[in-house]
Amino acid sequence: MIKVGVDTGGTFTDFVYHKDGKWYIFKVLSTPSDPSKAVLEGLQRIGTDQPLAITHGSTVATNSVLERKGARTSFITNKGFEDTLFIGRQDRKKLYDLTYRRKPPLVNREDCIGLDCRVNSEGKVVKPVDEGEVREVAKQLKEKGIQAVAVSFLFSFLNPTGEETVKRILEEEGFFVSVSSQIIPEFREYERGSTTVVNSYVMPKMNSYIKNLQENLKEGDSLSIIQSNGGAISPDTARKEPVRTILSGPAGGVVGAFHLGKLIGKTKLITFDMGGTSTDVSLLNDSIPFSTETYIDDFPVKVPIIDIHTVGAGGGSIAYLDKGGSLNVGPESAGADPGPVCYGKGERLTVSDANLFLGRLSPDYFLGGSMKLNMERLYKFFELYSIEWGIPADRLAEGILKVANTKMERAVRVISIEKGYDPREFSLFVYGGAGGLHAPFLARELSIPEVIIPLNPGVFSAFGMAFADVIKDYSLTVMSEETDINRLKEAFGKLEERALTDMEREGFKRADVEIHKLVDLRYKGQSFEIVIPFSDRFVEDFHSRHKALYGYSRPEKQVQVVNLRVRAVGQTEKPQIQLVAEGDKQPPPEAVVGRKKLIFDGKEYETTFYLRDKLKAGNRIKGSAVILEYSSTTVIPPFAEGYIDQYGNIRVKV
Amino acid sequence: MVDPILLEVFKNRLSAVAEEMGTVLQKSAFSSNIKERRDFSCAVFDKNGDLVAQASHIPVHLGSMPMSVKSALESITFKEGDMVALNDPYRGGTHLPDITVIAPVFIDGQLEFFVANRAHHADIGGITAGSMPLSKTIYHEGLIIPPVKIVEGGEVNRWILQLIKSNVRTPEEREGDFLAQISANITGIKRLIQLSERYPVSDIQFYMEALNSYSKRIMEDRINRIPDGEYSFYDFMEDDGAGNRDIKIQVDIKIEGSKATVDFSNSDPQTEGNINCVRAITLSAVYYVFRSLVREDIPTNKGCFEPIQVITKKGSVVDCQHPYPVAGGNVETSQRIVDVVLGALSKAIPDEIPSASQGTMNNLTIGGVNPKTGKPFTYYETIGGGMGASLGVDGESGIQSHMTNTLNTPVEALEFEYPFMVERYSLRDNSGGEGLYRGGDGIIRQIKFLTDVEITVISERRRIPPYGLFGGSPAKVGENILIRDGKEVKMGGKFHTRLKKGDSIVIKTPGGGGYRREG
Repeated sequence: MIKVGVDTGGTFTDFVYHKDGKWYIFKVLSTPSDPSKAVLEGLQRIGTDQPLAITHGSTVATNSVLERKGARTSFITNKGFEDTLFIGRQDRKKLYDLTYRRKPPLVNREDCIGLDCRVNSEGKVVKPVDEGEVREVAKQLKEKGIQAVAVSFLFSFLNPTGEETVKRILEEEGFFVSVSSQIIPEFREYERGSTTVVNSYVMPKMNSYIKNLQENLKEGDSLSIIQSNGGAISPDTARKEPVRTILSGPAGGVVGAFHLGKLIGKTKLITFDMGGTSTDVSLLNDSIPFSTETYIDDFPVKVPIIDIHTVGAGGGSIAYLDKGGSLNVGPESAGADPGPVCYGKGERLTVSDANLFLGRLSPDYFLGGSMKLNMERLYKFFELYSIEWGIPADRLAEGILKVANTKMERAVRVISIEKGYDPREFSLFVYGGAGGLHAPFLARELSIPEVIIPLNPGVFSAFGMAFADVIKDYSLTVMSEETDINRLKEAFGKLEERALTDMEREGFKRADVEIHKLVDLRYKGQSFEIVIPFSDRFVEDFHSRHKALYGYSRPEKQVQVVNLRVRAVGQTEKPQIQLVAEGDKQPPPEAVVGRKKLIFDGKEYETTFYLRDKLKAGNRIKGSAVILEYSSTTVIPPFAEGYIDQYGNIRVKV
Repeated sequence: MVDPILLEVFKNRLSAVAEEMGTVLQKSAFSSNIKERRDFSCAVFDKNGDLVAQASHIPVHLGSMPMSVKSALESITFKEGDMVALNDPYRGGTHLPDITVIAPVFIDGQLEFFVANRAHHADIGGITAGSMPLSKTIYHEGLIIPPVKIVEGGEVNRWILQLIKSNVRTPEEREGDFLAQISANITGIKRLIQLSERYPVSDIQFYMEALNSYSKRIMEDRINRIPDGEYSFYDFMEDDGAGNRDIKIQVDIKIEGSKATVDFSNSDPQTEGNINCVRAITLSAVYYVFRSLVREDIPTNKGCFEPIQVITKKGSVVDCQHPYPVAGGNVETSQRIVDVVLGALSKAIPDEIPSASQGTMNNLTIGGVNPKTGKPFTYYETIGGGMGASLGVDGESGIQSHMTNTLNTPVEALEFEYPFMVERYSLRDNSGGEGLYRGGDGIIRQIKFLTDVEITVISERRRIPPYGLFGGSPAKVGENILIRDGKEVKMGGKFHTRLKKGDSIVIKTPGGGGYRREG
């Protein structure tokens, strides 16, 4: 069996596979109109008779939402609450915008239907669902040409019978149906309704996409789909609950960092993925973190998603001097068109231009030298802007990087210091193309002692997918002041049973499934919960976590159990990561491709350029140095020192 | 010399301090006003008490935060480890439920900065639950806190806390909110100390001043692009809840180059009911409008508003004097001040100004005893409405506008916590004004009470509708209806009453005005 990771991206679909103890990587041009084409083409290219075990990160669900190309969907709720999705939380996302408009919901207002039924806050049926009314509605929806339906009634997480009735009838009529008590049985009707709508909206597309893939696999191949929580699920589950894949783009990288980190004894990591327009960061404190406060295109999605913080600064971010005389970078990006100045078309300086100007990026090695860069043009534009803005060109280039780094640093602070973690205890784990140019500087600002850059950082996300376990999340709002451990254990029973049954369906023996229990807690009267692992001392753990997060705790105060959570993990077989050849402290001479004077913090330093694939385990590299490879560059500034570890990772001590 | 790079670095770092304070406050607070409705503000000040950075949470505190720090500085000598609380509207506050907590930041034994936050507590005593009464003097509205040290030498002053707790209906919740406010300040202090470990204090202060000039330059540039001239507009508050009707708010704006003079001298005198504003509220409303005209992401600081001169007459409804009541001025009159300032500016820059938004916050306060727990409760909410339309854009529907941006309390959260059942929460079709661009629609909210309650409603735009511009129609006015023993009773804009178990209230909020005649 061959493990394969397939990561669909905007430009390329990345393939990573492990065959006969060796890793292979390649890229295929993505086919946005039908992403399965690129996936199938790549699988073909692996060209083997052995069965493939494929883990796939798909963008079908995400893009259906972002491009508004999902199915025409109806939202069914209680009478009087049809506008729930249109009112949202009643707030505006921008405070100082006199002409603010919300993003229009994924459903048309006339397709939102209220049924005359109600459950109260104790789970009692005040008015039951009238089956006749549902059949009448089904008829109307058919006439309108509706394909998918999302059902979310008030307090359905306490009593799902109403939603189940509607689901049964509508499924008989051939609709794609998702109900909130199954997708996300948690309180807060807008967020739950929104999550359910996103699910229904992308369901028909995801269904046909996966079906098509499955039909075109060869005998013996297996397929699993990566979710936004970093775990894999079977294609059948993905077809029914596609909302779980909605933000799976960055998931592969975090999973890869987690597994590679474990291998080298680093389980406290801050991941750093710098792309063209934005940078994603996340914090791993011995486990993959998740959040349930996520949005896609302003619509809340409450399913657990890897907790990733994104900031609008990347390689393509544009620098400009604003009217007040401050040097800004981003969030506007030059994108692929017109692109940075050095591509020959753009006329505004970007972060990549600054790196290139300072010589930290090498024009000969940019994307393996396949992209022709116009250096003369770059120098000309730097000179022009330098005169216009009154900043010497070298300082301007370093300034652009400094401002971009400040923004990224802010993102790291949000996930670390602001959540009670000390960055000094973490390593900065870097992947994506441009991260290695910025990470050591960021590490210095945040007092992070070490930067780790894995091999092939450009396809690291696909690599991570090959390591994904099967993970399924379950939750339920209980809103209880009961903190008796035995009573709670009982309450967990149902969720656990559901999880185990589902995991059996995913092909695991019950005994092999790890069950993690968590509780969402708050002091009675608060509105935000903290997720705490369920153990004998979960209440004490809550008090101390509250103190770490907010500076105080109130042990005398009533603690409220808001949600129960169960995470079921089925371990998959992990491919081996091979060791790289060992060498001396001194890097081999053939690894050195040049020496040049580069500027760091306003001073010139003699800088050595190395080729990464010629470096050997144990090689030490003093700053300042630049390490080149296809699609990625790492800078070791004068204040840092690097070495290559046994797995080929660059480790930079700052 | 100011370095454009460091300027940007400090801009980011200082606003990050204020924002992080906000996160701590919101996530750990107990009052629904703070945690769900985000009715709070956090800010950083220099050692003179001038505003350096304020996180954008709610505009109504824009002009009033600096006043609280200055007021505290007048009467208190700060020592390391102290924090000062105040809510007195006549000494740096806004209305009594808004309590400000101020902390000095000492670096190497020297007072170098201040941090402060202000939050709307759910109850601060007074004649009705929730402390938003139809009052006739400030003494009806609750406990007045002059600047006092709530924390001294790092220890919470238990006596003061006891005094406050003894004067409010939900004392446990108050203590929790104070802890959250104190923690938010501690976070701010820590971050400024860390910043001073990275940069010399003199550099930080230099760049604080540079950021003032920075914001000022951008604001001046903005005002420069408004044609010079004099522009006037007036509108009315329908009543003050004490029987006085049609209270005029007038503004006369003069634009001269990069300076704006905003004169309210022609507004009516202060009034018997609670819709009076202290000057700080008037400043906030004016600042909000000018801040909204700026597209750039500028720090909200002292420099930002230096080009704007606001003139108010002492003893007028927009600059009331002790002991006139103010509970509703903050929430209602502030909206009307925005309406008139926008109305006047629509004559200068017609393409950039929207028609009137709903112009009220529809304040609903409910008090009673929860039959499940036997304990008293107070609940307060504001309800969104329509936004005014503008050139090329229809007004948004069912949304908070201008001086507030609070979240709703989810129906399920509400019913879990209080003896209510929400029967309807929907858009109010056709309540926005007609026009080439349509005003947004209001909301219909209907709540049934599962126990006996007392309720207070403070609302406006029940008689005089939000205006349209350039031929666009005005919006529909709002309506307040009680359902008592199954019978509907139409109520005025401001009232206090008791309801029985099984009764309901229906609030229909106004839409926004239309823009330009159709066709």
